[in-house]
Amino acid sequence: MISVYYFGAIALVLVGLYGVLVKKNLMKILISLSIMETGVNLLLISIGYVSGKSAPILSEGVKWNQAVDPIPQALVLTAIVIGVATTAMALSAAILIYEKYGTLNVEEIRRLRG
Amino acid sequence: MNEIPIILFTPLLAGVLAWLINVKGARELIGVIGAATPLALLAKLYSPIVSNPNNPLTYKLTVSGFNLTFKMGMLNWYFAVIASLVGLAMAFGMVSTSKNGYDWLFALISYTGVLGVFLSWDFISFFLLWELMTFASFMMVLKRNRHESLKYFVLSVIGAYAMLLAIALIYAKTGALDFDSIRQALYMDAMLGSISKGETALIFVLFLTAFGVKAGAWPLHVWAPGAYSETDQSYTAFFSGALSKAGVYGFLLLYILMGAKLYYALGTFHGHLTFAYIIAWIGAITVVVASFLAVLQEDIRKLFAYSSVGQVGYILLAFGLGTGLGFAGGLFHVLSHAVFKGLFWLVTAAIILQTGKTEFKDFGGLAEKMPFTFAMGLIAVLSLAGIPPMAGFASKWLIYEAAISAHMPLVAGAIFLGSALAFAYVVRFLYAVWFGQRPSDLEDVKEAPLPLLIAMAILAIPNIVFGIAPGLVTNYLNKALGGQIVGGNYYKLVTQTGTYNALTVALLLVVGLAIAGLIYIYGAKARKIPVTNTYQSGNPVTEEFNLSIRRNFYLPLKEALAFWLRYSFDRFYERIAQLSEDFADALREGFYNGNVQAYSWYLAVILLILALWGVL
Repeated sequence: MISVYYFGAIALVLVGLYGVLVKKNLMKILISLSIMETGVNLLLISIGYVSGKSAPILSEGVKWNQAVDPIPQALVLTAIVIGVATTAMALSAAILIYEKYGTLNVEEIRRLRG
Repeated sequence: MNEIPIILFTPLLAGVLAWLINVKGARELIGVIGAATPLALLAKLYSPIVSNPNNPLTYKLTVSGFNLTFKMGMLNWYFAVIASLVGLAMAFGMVSTSKNGYDWLFALISYTGVLGVFLSWDFISFFLLWELMTFASFMMVLKRNRHESLKYFVLSVIGAYAMLLAIALIYAKTGALDFDSIRQALYMDAMLGSISKGETALIFVLFLTAFGVKAGAWPLHVWAPGAYSETDQSYTAFFSGALSKAGVYGFLLLYILMGAKLYYALGTFHGHLTFAYIIAWIGAITVVVASFLAVLQEDIRKLFAYSSVGQVGYILLAFGLGTGLGFAGGLFHVLSHAVFKGLFWLVTAAIILQTGKTEFKDFGGLAEKMPFTFAMGLIAVLSLAGIPPMAGFASKWLIYEAAISAHMPLVAGAIFLGSALAFAYVVRFLYAVWFGQRPSDLEDVKEAPLPLLIAMAILAIPNIVFGIAPGLVTNYLNKALGGQIVGGNYYKLVTQTGTYNALTVALLLVVGLAIAGLIYIYGAKARKIPVTNTYQSGNPVTEEFNLSIRRNFYLPLKEALAFWLRYSFDRFYERIAQLSEDFADALREGFYNGNVQAYSWYLAVILLILALWGVL
């Protein structure tokens, strides 16, 4: 069954892709990357969701066969953490680039390279 | 006790040892012993091989699941003994000319490779050793000239891939890799016809490319002049004398393995086998083109390199005649080319070692300074130009006879033209280097060192012996080819169309030389004259038309050929290389432009394409 979340997720990825491909500002590109990442996470989560089942947490009245698959959720949790770390690192690289070149325009950074 | 592994691997082992030890003296000793062992063992095997031609010596080796088979029948023995003869001469020559372990290592590795190609009896070992040989010879050129070695490398790689494809095709069609099964399978298939005409032609063309590169057949010869001249000259004796024979052996293998199949698939053309006709014409064109180019060279190394290409053309041409006599002539020429061209390169090595010069304009009057080398050079010249009683005459005579009796007059014409041109260039070598006035900086040139002289003698003796007694070779070839193809005894060759008595010719020559010598000593008034007197009639000439034998001697020929010289495969290949380089540059600048966003676009587009491909 195609969930509405799929469309949302793909839309987020496409929005991010548009930003990465078209925007010249490094900050905007990084934001777009984050948006893409969110889209991917949403896609994984929505694939892992089974309608009518509860969260995979052991509690009263919930047996193991009533819970959804825990692996996508665990994975996405990891991915979010990694995403935060990579974004932080990319931002610090962006700060260094700005200090060195005085601009965040990717085309100008390329020209300054050689 | 099986001799084949010892024959095969002694040079390799000796090369590695010489390289590891690398002490002056020990290195040379190991190298020479390693080069001499195969020859000694092959000589020992002569009588068992000849007395038992239908039961060849076999050696099997299993390497990581592959069965490598080596066999020594009469033809394998013939090729191997030629290679090891030249190899021994090379080793002696290298004692004088080569001063480092690198040369010894790769020269002896290529020696093993060549012997392996001649002895292997399945396509895996054939291909492996073929590549070993190519690699080692490439390394020999690489050390001295990068550009020429790359040219050699690229053409060799093309040849290797062609051969690999052909082997794969044969394997796919017959399921066999050893020569006996392939031969049988293709022979059966000649009747059944399950391999189509197109596939057979494809395999033929692929093999033609593979072996043509190594033999230096036109139009794949372009690597040869550069590679032959830009390496150790003693090694070139082996490179041109034995290594190019691997290509020739490949053509022979083509007949052995798929002769019947090619005949049935491609049919005949004007009464000749079509595939053989192609080989014959490739040979004929090689002879003519290379001989013309050899005549026009100003550098002795280049001259002999082109001449070597041309002489291998003779062998291809002879094989292409497709008759027993053609094979006999071609195989004889394999021997004589190995001995005279090897000798030529050793003479060149001696000249270059002692004078440090390579161009005709710097030479002259060396005969008095290096009399022994001169005598060896004279033998080589006589043999190459096809003057009796040298081995070169006997083999060329057989090829003529074969061409005439195979009713291919145009091909015979090509041989004749090639021979005349060969005479033109060796005469120039003979006169410009050895006679005439000696430039003042060559006054203190000494005779070549002893090892080099031994090397020359090793190759000069067969030239004379097989020249005076060509029957020694033809009798062996008769047995090897299984039939009385060339009649006569040791001194006399008899074919359907003619007879050549080498002993009579030799005796007459000696008598004639004695008479001429007597006249020279007692009757002639010799006086010394400057070179300008003979060539310019004492008149001053302008600088651009200063055609002494040492400078632009064949300029008129060059001008006459100007139209044809505009077309050169050498330049054609250079142009293709340039074009592909430009194309690659344009691609690089367009796509690999340093813009990160552009790379994101490529990724996005490729992902889109892959996604669509998955969906549709």
